[in-house]
Amino acid sequence: MAEALNVKKRASRGKREAKRLREAGSIPAILYGHGEANESLVIVADEMSAVIRHGGRVVELKGAVNEKAFIRELQWDVYGVEVLHVDFARVSEHERVEVKVKVELRGEAPGVKDGGAVEHLLHEIEIDCEALSIPEKIGVSIRELKIGDAITAGELKLPDGAKLVGDPDDVIVHCVVHREEEEVEGGAEGAEPEVIGRKAEDEEEGEE
Amino acid sequence: MALMPKRVKHRKSQRGRIKGKATRGNRVVFGDFGLQATQGGWVSAQTIEAGRVAASQYLRSEGRLYIRVFPHKSITSIPLETRMGKGKGEPEFWAAVVRPGTVLYEIGGVSEEAARMCFSRLAHKMPVRVRFVRRRAV
Repeated sequence: MAEALNVKKRASRGKREAKRLREAGSIPAILYGHGEANESLVIVADEMSAVIRHGGRVVELKGAVNEKAFIRELQWDVYGVEVLHVDFARVSEHERVEVKVKVELRGEAPGVKDGGAVEHLLHEIEIDCEALSIPEKIGVSIRELKIGDAITAGELKLPDGAKLVGDPDDVIVHCVVHREEEEVEGGAEGAEPEVIGRKAEDEEEGEE
Repeated sequence: MALMPKRVKHRKSQRGRIKGKATRGNRVVFGDFGLQATQGGWVSAQTIEAGRVAASQYLRSEGRLYIRVFPHKSITSIPLETRMGKGKGEPEFWAAVVRPGTVLYEIGGVSEEAARMCFSRLAHKMPVRVRFVRRRAV
């Protein structure tokens, strides 16, 4: 069930207007797709944060526009706190979209008890599925992950109708023996890095 | 041993100005949680190393720490009781130039509580104000 989002049309353009909107608790947005005209919109920031918090990917736009839309892109500020702009793409009920979905590890790996460490290498995977059935996350059980074992993208259980986009051999998570505390590479005390081109110049001078 | 470049084009660099905010390296990419600078400044190689040691002592064999900054800039100084002039000083240490928003460290494979505890120890050593951040939703 797609969450509802109240939208208004936006006549204003430019960064000064966008800044004023953000200060007033709104977010500028755009709606496009299906060969129809682009619509510049304004949404309420609090409603949008709730959608993001709930992991919603498809929303029901209400107000100036009444249709379902897929959240194609979010622009964040430098600190990753506030959403600056949202791109909505029009979707129909059975349209397929390619989307990145979070991968969540479940359980405890027996390899950890044997001195190994679980390394989560791929935090999100791209899947191709129907727009209205995008999963919030994909769970991976690591309850049988021993030292030296790995789970690849191809081994994931995807929801019905979903297909993996990308390499099925990509390692999602593996259990490896924890290395001894490694020395950070660096020079000895007072050492200096090699200066590029310096040696060549010195040698040339010596020859002359 | 503190971090430093292996090869450089010039031994000494000008001081420069830290302008604007971090437009790159401002997201948690490798781990689950991160320590983000909210202030600009220089973080010396020695400080980066101190942070790494503090984190690895707290984490022990659990989880994994990622260092997201590298000290590329050489900082020079002139010796004490030296008259002014006679050229630029000698390189003293190496530092990473940090802009507000830069993620300094990341941790993966531990609970949020453990990551918060670890980063609070680490934050005390940092010369810039920092905050705890999570991996952002897709």
